[in-house]
Amino acid sequence: MDMGIDGAFTVKVLTRFIREELGKKGFRRAVLGLSGGLDSSVCAVLAARALGPKNVLGLIMPYGDSFGRDVRDARTIGTRIGIRTETIDIKPMVDRYFERYPTDSRVLKGNKMARERMSILYDRSARESALILGTSNKTELLLGYGTIHGDMACAINPMGDLYKTQVRELARYLKIPAAIRTKPPSAGLWAGQTDESEIGMTYAEIDEVLLHLVDGRESAAEVVARGIPKARVERIEAMIRASEFKRQMPLIAKIAPRTVGYDFLYPYDREK
Amino acid sequence: MCYFGPMKIALAQMAPGLGDVARNLDLHLETIARARKAGAELTIFPELSLTGYRLRDLTESVAADPARDKAVRALVRASRETAVVFGFVEEKPAEKGLFYNSAAFAAGGRILHIHRKVFLPTFGMFEEARFFAPGRNIRAFDTPWGRMGLLICRDFLHFNTSYLLYADGAETTIVISAAPGRGSAGTKGFASSRMWELMGEAMGRFAQAYVVYVNRVGFEDGIVFAGGSFVKDPMGEPVGQASALDPDFLVLDIDLGRVRTARKNWPFKRDDKPEVTLEALKKIVHGYGD
Repeated sequence: MDMGIDGAFTVKVLTRFIREELGKKGFRRAVLGLSGGLDSSVCAVLAARALGPKNVLGLIMPYGDSFGRDVRDARTIGTRIGIRTETIDIKPMVDRYFERYPTDSRVLKGNKMARERMSILYDRSARESALILGTSNKTELLLGYGTIHGDMACAINPMGDLYKTQVRELARYLKIPAAIRTKPPSAGLWAGQTDESEIGMTYAEIDEVLLHLVDGRESAAEVVARGIPKARVERIEAMIRASEFKRQMPLIAKIAPRTVGYDFLYPYDREK
Repeated sequence: MCYFGPMKIALAQMAPGLGDVARNLDLHLETIARARKAGAELTIFPELSLTGYRLRDLTESVAADPARDKAVRALVRASRETAVVFGFVEEKPAEKGLFYNSAAFAAGGRILHIHRKVFLPTFGMFEEARFFAPGRNIRAFDTPWGRMGLLICRDFLHFNTSYLLYADGAETTIVISAAPGRGSAGTKGFASSRMWELMGEAMGRFAQAYVVYVNRVGFEDGIVFAGGSFVKDPMGEPVGQASALDPDFLVLDIDLGRVRTARKNWPFKRDDKPEVTLEALKKIVHGYGD
């Protein structure tokens, strides 16, 4: 299997996806969180192409001034593609909560920040009559490397079937500035955090395994037989299993003859 | 019925609205008018063109008895001026509560043939057998332009369907489709599009018939339909191809005389032995040996 993508064709599919799926819900505008990282930058460019830059609002939501460079990068990409941007510091809201319920856990703090951003995005979504574009890529979704109801929350996600490696390739095709493309990917949970050091594998290593496991439908043994270290394959499989709940709607206890999600099954896109 | 001449056909690669029959009917009638102006004698729409594809629990609400349904009747009326192939959800009064993924061929103000999709993909992203009953017959039928056969999407990927139409005398196989694009890594366009073209070439070449494949475009629930509608001639050569992803409208000239040429030059049809196939199949199906 091959990881390479045709940039022009992929952009064509994803911009149509954004325009058509928003349009069917009666929307012309989109809002998204701009972190200054690779995924949200690519998503912003796709949205600007699909809807026109004036119809896209990028919200830059740093926690205080701990992410100065990211804020600058986010503004740069916003200016470059001509979308509206707005910067909202989430520090006062987040600090207020942790003053009352203190913790030393960086993960708890990071999750709270992700959900604060989500809460602002949904508020702006309603105020602006704009739908939220998700920026989670396929690697994150499969590993569960995201905050449920935080950065994973959105109306539609144009990037969710592209591995991180493919998002990088798309970013090159879209001429995203090298400063953004070469920056180590970070969930921004705390200053200096990087995904690859936290997970303990590079995205290239992860994506190679995911491509065979998921798209190739190979067993772990078959992937190992390709010469990939067993520990890596097992670790990735375990992460996929442990995060299944993040990829599903909440379970409903079935009592009635017809139940939402089980046998009450209407298309998302019904037009009448 | 014997027809050796040229024919103009229109491939209506469109994006029906999901569950919006009224709007889809308008879209059909506008397209038929456009085809008529272009001199087309037959206009072909994709699978479930009247209703949209991913209906799920909407299926019953758009089901139509072709003898009575207003939208179907409107298309049959429109076929007085140019013949039409369209897709719809069929429910007959004699089979209440059974819904078929059907294709109708209408010409001269009446329905000449209805094909009910036999092979309902139900795996991975597909769940058709959850909502549709399977058709149980594959037959060719006579038209003013020779004998033709109708297949719906997945039907065509089972090559026995093409053989049955061939054995039954079809000179043109019309495949209406709602095929999603998938697998883009390492390829130009979608990997799945190549699968359809390959089958089209092979069946055109070896069934020595025209293959007309009309796929839809647009998105439903995040799934993109790949378009790329095409016509292959009885030598498997391309006659024309629509764009990927975008709505398109192609008017193509086909020459049914080429069926004769192909079958004369390569006498596969002359030498075919359907009775041997039948007897061999009986042994296979009934499990008895030689």
